[in-house]
Amino acid sequence: MRYFSKLLTLWFILLFVLPAMAQEKTLDFSTQIRPVLDKHCFSCHNVGDVAGGINLEKYESEGSLVEDGEVWLKVVKQVQSGQMPPDSEPSPTAEEHDIIVKGINSILVKSLSDNNPGRVVIRRLSHTEYSYTMLDLVGVDFNANNFFPADGSGGGGFDNFSQTLFVTPLKLERYYEAAEQILQQAYQNPGLWKNLVPFRYEQQWWEQAGNWTLGIFSEDFTPFNDPALAAQNIIYPFASKAFRRFLKNGEKQSLLRLFKKVYTSLNDKPNPERFNLSLLETFKAVLISTNFLYRLEEESAYEGSYQLSDFELATRLSYFLWSSMPDEELFATAYRGDLQDPRVLNRQVIRMLNDPKARRFVKSFATQWMGIAKLNEESPVDPERFPEFTTSLRQAMFQQSVEFFNYALLERKNFLDLLDSDYTFLNEELANYYGIDGVTGSNFRKVELADRTRGGVLGMGSVLAATSLPLRTSPVLRGKWVLEEILGTPPPPPPPDAGVLPAEADTENLSLRDLLVVHRSKPGCMSCHSKMDPIGLGLENFDAIGRWRKSYGQDTIDASGVMSSGETFDGPNELKRILLEKKETFARNLSEKMFTYAIGRSVQFVDEPTLQKLQKNLLDNNFNTEKFIIELVNSYAFRYKVNDYSKKLNES
Amino acid sequence: MKKSWHISRRRMLKGLGATIALPFLEAMVPPGMGMSAYASQKSPIRTAFMFMPNGVHPDRWTPGQWGSEFELSPILQPLKNVKQDVLILNELMNHFSIFEGADGHYAKTANFLTCLPIHKTTGENLNSGGISIDQLIAQHVGNQTLFPSLEYGLDRITSGIDVNVGFTRLYGSSISWKSPNQPNTKEIDPQLAFNRLFRNYVPKPGGIINQENPWKESVLDLVREDASSLQKQLGRSDQDKLEEYLESIRSIEKRIGNEEQRKDFERHLTPDIRKEIMRLNQRIDEYSEMNLGVDITEKVHQMMDIMALALWSDATRVTTFMFGNSVSNRNFSFLPGVDGSHHQLSHHQSNERNLDQYARINTWHIEQYAYFLEKLKSIKEGDKTLLDNSMVMLGSGLRDGDRHSPRNLPIVLAGKGGGALKTGKNLKFAEETPLANLYLTMLKVMDIPAECFADSTQELCDLV
Repeated sequence: MRYFSKLLTLWFILLFVLPAMAQEKTLDFSTQIRPVLDKHCFSCHNVGDVAGGINLEKYESEGSLVEDGEVWLKVVKQVQSGQMPPDSEPSPTAEEHDIIVKGINSILVKSLSDNNPGRVVIRRLSHTEYSYTMLDLVGVDFNANNFFPADGSGGGGFDNFSQTLFVTPLKLERYYEAAEQILQQAYQNPGLWKNLVPFRYEQQWWEQAGNWTLGIFSEDFTPFNDPALAAQNIIYPFASKAFRRFLKNGEKQSLLRLFKKVYTSLNDKPNPERFNLSLLETFKAVLISTNFLYRLEEESAYEGSYQLSDFELATRLSYFLWSSMPDEELFATAYRGDLQDPRVLNRQVIRMLNDPKARRFVKSFATQWMGIAKLNEESPVDPERFPEFTTSLRQAMFQQSVEFFNYALLERKNFLDLLDSDYTFLNEELANYYGIDGVTGSNFRKVELADRTRGGVLGMGSVLAATSLPLRTSPVLRGKWVLEEILGTPPPPPPPDAGVLPAEADTENLSLRDLLVVHRSKPGCMSCHSKMDPIGLGLENFDAIGRWRKSYGQDTIDASGVMSSGETFDGPNELKRILLEKKETFARNLSEKMFTYAIGRSVQFVDEPTLQKLQKNLLDNNFNTEKFIIELVNSYAFRYKVNDYSKKLNES
Repeated sequence: MKKSWHISRRRMLKGLGATIALPFLEAMVPPGMGMSAYASQKSPIRTAFMFMPNGVHPDRWTPGQWGSEFELSPILQPLKNVKQDVLILNELMNHFSIFEGADGHYAKTANFLTCLPIHKTTGENLNSGGISIDQLIAQHVGNQTLFPSLEYGLDRITSGIDVNVGFTRLYGSSISWKSPNQPNTKEIDPQLAFNRLFRNYVPKPGGIINQENPWKESVLDLVREDASSLQKQLGRSDQDKLEEYLESIRSIEKRIGNEEQRKDFERHLTPDIRKEIMRLNQRIDEYSEMNLGVDITEKVHQMMDIMALALWSDATRVTTFMFGNSVSNRNFSFLPGVDGSHHQLSHHQSNERNLDQYARINTWHIEQYAYFLEKLKSIKEGDKTLLDNSMVMLGSGLRDGDRHSPRNLPIVLAGKGGGALKTGKNLKFAEETPLANLYLTMLKVMDIPAECFADSTQELCDLV
């Protein structure tokens, strides 16, 4: 139980160490503590020779130490108990011992009481975010996921994780081509182009110009027949929206310079074509700029943590809840400068969650969390073994989940519905497939369930198929999925020789349950498989493509089992009831997942106080989604930033 | 462990990647020969590294008999037409695939070409241990071609993290690492891959040739300047992230800005090469219109054709190719006698039926490899063939998919490396010979001065 041991350790520090520490003077890590570590620890735990998988030499500053606080808690324990340094090495003096134990302890304690927001690395837009931003900014619906090389995922398994979003020459070339295609599409479409360039240059354009609003970034509009002057009234608001902040003078100048350069050399083209084509090249520069492609947050001269600027906060908020740039109102709020006011912030969150764009967040977060995001594109099972699992059915299953998540999280506003519910969403095809009467037509609608078998995510074809092997169900995979994704308590990896069943067993004629019993008979496998297998076997009434079955051919399915924590159950409905009782574990896991998605980095040691607040919020408010998201958005980690502890490139 | 080795590894891990770095010095040119005469005298050596996921059937891989009188094993049968051009290398091991916390696949894939331990992470501080061998070679020869290197594969990066073992699946999707922290992006779509290289050389209907947008340079210029002034105001990790962007811009600018190199490239487009460009363009066009099933053989052939063309036209001299990401569960039911998928069957549990299907999948991979080798062999370069002037390595990061062992890896090296390699042999090295020794040997063949690469101890004997 990861979470309880963490709590215990924290209580230990806060109750016993903190008071003692209060009198201690804080030691400086790099000048006072590190030299002692160098003397006693680095000879084994160094960069090149990582003894026991622990490399202590790489920590050069307090910031990096705090980030891996759990490692350092272990260090303190080991030194305190005298287990390290080993007997073969010289022992530290009493004074050195104190420097390590008390010095590090006080740094860790301080980091927890400091409201440390943790270091965040700038995030490139994910491909999904890129698509939505283009839709909101230019109006073109562009499928970025098919056009760009894929990204990996990090942290909680999300595609918006800063450190796994790379730019390479190939990707940058695609960004250029994408910008070209998108702008060409907009140019070919008079309606869209009019939104970007609301007048025809060299016509009576100033008459129309009076009618359009430049939005909050507009400057006083003085009609002039100078193309550059006309152009800047188009370029600046566009770039400003795209960069999600005010433009700097240098940026304005360089964009205008590009416009003029193109305009001057296109002198063989008539206007407005000449004017428009010059704008198009300038827009292209905006759309491949770092200011657009990355969500940048500048460092402040201030030491310690500081508030994000209002525009930065607006951007975090809109990419969290809309997977896209802020809208006019959010920009206007940031412009007024009161977004950091909790009442204003909370009002915005509620407004944003009620906007249809919040469905993007739900889809992105929930389908990636549940591991079904890929289901829309490819089948997890073998098409020849399961010809019934058609593309249309597969996509219906995906859509069912999305509709369900939207309703549960945005309308019912309750996370517990994910575990079990007395309703689901169906269309005719899926209802027939599940054997539920009375649903006609291809549209999805809410259907009350007399029998809860299909309630919650564990009754969904999407999850059940995604956790199967191509040819059959895998109770191990399904059990692992519940432990990992629902409870956040993944079993450790299998030992290196796993997968080799006893050779003498005649595996051909054994049932799946018997096979797993053989599996568990190996001592190395037992401890984890006794946690995973019963859960998976409890879901065996669902076949590999989520159909209900009572037997394997002649043999009746036995879906009863005992959880490793002792509860007994028979079948999925009772299993779900047991999961519903594990509220604390579910709340902790949900907090970690959503935190990672919102902030874009993994949970760190310093986040412990925030995570405890989030968990408590869920438990106190019966898993209300709105209250939880408000708590998260108000957290230090979401609203604050701390400077990077490493030396800057231009400083070293 | 010897102390001297320990020190050099430590120094190397601190950021050098490998203890090389001497540029190509004139002192190395044979006496009595000018630098340019030496350089122009021989065709450049091309390298390709191919990765197949999930290991091989352990008993049907190794050929019978050592040395040059060997007999191809069942899996290696497809190599019969190029048997004299290959070296089967046995008992190589990627030592740093084993470390505390290493798993069965990811820790053996991301380091397939770095031979160092990867950092265990679900995303934070990604690290492959070091630069990969292909990128090290590209650092030395890449500036002589339009593209320093090209990375190809068949599958998108696998999304998600594997909580079970504590790694991001990104690790299993990347073998080419520009730096320990930055995986290269692989191209998986034949159409896009072809366009990137040769679009400008395919006449459109009406005879118009595509031209680069005349403003591209100005646009790139602007964003590069903005990015570098912005970079100064960011924190260190952000600066590093932005550096990826800046490097990418610079590399594109260098390519489109280098008129001379482009002209040089175009001069080398012989009528034969141009004919191949047209043929391939048509083949890809027709394929895109077809409705795709699970059989990806045609797609693989197209990717191989593109790679061959890229090496032939000297668009690049270094490529990598991934048949699949590690743990790939590609459905191979398009092969006769196979009704399952790759990773699942690789866990054969010593069941004969599974083993047989597993071997068929392995054989399919060798067929594709052979297709590529035969293609290179069909292309003449002076009195040699393109294959003679290449080194094409194929392998997997583990041997038996059921056991995940990084010992006695299945590794083949094809091509004569410009004449330096004595091919047509089945070689058995001492047990646990570092895989990095092979890479060190390849560096030597390419005249890239290197004391060592990763954990290499010495060059492989009997190759040269």
